[in-house]
Amino acid sequence: MASYKTRLQADLDRWIAEGLVPAASREPILAGVAEPRRLEASSALAAVGGLLLGIAVIAFVAANWSGIPRLGRFALILALFLGVSGGAAWAGAVRPLARNILLLIAALVYAAAIGLTGQIFDIAGEPSAALHMAGLAALLLAVAGRSSAAAVAGLFFVGVGDAGFGFLDATRGLPPWLLAAAPLAVALAWTWRSKPLAHAAALALPVAGLYLLIWLHSDVPNNLDGFAIAAGFAALAAGARWLDGKDHPVAGVAYGWWVWAALIFFAASGFGPHPPTGIVHRVVWLGVSAGVIALGLHDRRSVVTAAGVLSMAGAIGAILFDLGLGLMTAAGVFALVAVVALGVGFILRRRAKA
Amino acid sequence: MTFPIRIGAAALLLAALLVGLVIRETAARAAGREVILVMQAVDPRDLLTGHYAALDFTQAVPPGRPCPPGTGTALGRGWLALTPGATDAKVTGYAKTREEAAKLGPVVVRGQANCWAAPEQDDTPGRISLDLGIRRFHADQKQAEGIEKALRERKVGEETAFAVVSVGQDGKPRLKGVIIDGHRMDLSWK
Repeated sequence: MASYKTRLQADLDRWIAEGLVPAASREPILAGVAEPRRLEASSALAAVGGLLLGIAVIAFVAANWSGIPRLGRFALILALFLGVSGGAAWAGAVRPLARNILLLIAALVYAAAIGLTGQIFDIAGEPSAALHMAGLAALLLAVAGRSSAAAVAGLFFVGVGDAGFGFLDATRGLPPWLLAAAPLAVALAWTWRSKPLAHAAALALPVAGLYLLIWLHSDVPNNLDGFAIAAGFAALAAGARWLDGKDHPVAGVAYGWWVWAALIFFAASGFGPHPPTGIVHRVVWLGVSAGVIALGLHDRRSVVTAAGVLSMAGAIGAILFDLGLGLMTAAGVFALVAVVALGVGFILRRRAKA
Repeated sequence: MTFPIRIGAAALLLAALLVGLVIRETAARAAGREVILVMQAVDPRDLLTGHYAALDFTQAVPPGRPCPPGTGTALGRGWLALTPGATDAKVTGYAKTREEAAKLGPVVVRGQANCWAAPEQDDTPGRISLDLGIRRFHADQKQAEGIEKALRERKVGEETAFAVVSVGQDGKPRLKGVIIDGHRMDLSWK
């Protein structure tokens, strides 16, 4: 693929020939465009050499692991963790990408170190506790070095640790840690304006909502707790949409995911042990889905439109399943929602023209 | 604070936590009360997670005898009462609280037990399966293979494999070593 400068050269020649740009401006414009960075052969070879050396060291240690005294093995693990963390510290503010990647590696090495330490010294413990500790360590490293990659790893460890938390135990223990970690990650993504972290955090928040329902042993009439969470995500999505309109760099990411979350919680709350009675839920579900499709098309957000389309397909399927052979009733429900959708569309069009 | 200082401080804190964990667990293991529990089975060793012998604590209930007080099925985690004997310690009860368990045996430890017994049948022994959170004994390849071989080759009903468990003040059981065919192997820092 041609670089931007190469394409600009061709465009400039065409614009000069068409008289749009004076010929004298050609060189100053091109001089103002930097050449893309090229990796020198020596740097590439150094990177490959370093990588191979690392693999050789790992293979050598693995081959002699059983022969190394326990304290030696522990020291090796600590040295590896401190070495990678030291590399991230060295990268500092000058090399943000290297710092980000090295802190991710440090977080993963620390997670492995927890498991290996337990193995070396035969320390028994709950796997979820080890994962929580690894998650907290990754989040600490993320905050210390402003590393979005380490924060994503931290969210992952905390979420997986929560999954093995003994939710189904009769006795309710501490609440899931993701309830604190997910909002923290959202705040970090917002502050750092990091899109990768915004994706992970925006996804972690609905997972935390689901964990909360499980932890609470949700048993509220009409699944009101599920509807409350759906409403919460709808409000969050509205807020993110508003910020997206003000060109916030990560609000659009959260907007899309939270629309999905709101629709999923709303749809799922119509099922389960205490669903709301009647077909009101299905009618509202159908109407909301149509509204989300319209919203996604209006905002030119394909992820929002897709959520609406899938939600509508689910709602139609649920209505047909609920009503069985009552096709006349099904026809009535679809016709009602269609009339409402057409009516709202007509009003919006008239307003736009006015 | 600059990035190098913040990252360095976080890394040192995390390394210190790991060192602290090892020191605390080692001290608790050394200070705890030692009990010996019979081991019943062994799983294949996993090459990816290092050499180890998988430990399974199952005790026999003599024919015609009921399960120890409080034990049963699907009880969840609680407190087990152990009573040391001439060769090993036996489960003598289970309770939800430490105080209640202490009335059933001199040593109380956190864990759970599933017991099945048919006291009305004089020829059918019962069994108690213990979950103490201790599942593996990591050893070097030669040791792990030796333990596995000894456990595999012993006769049915023969109790020649034991785990040495340290029960700390916190009631947490910590593995101290194993005894195979009278030969004791303790965990050490070497």
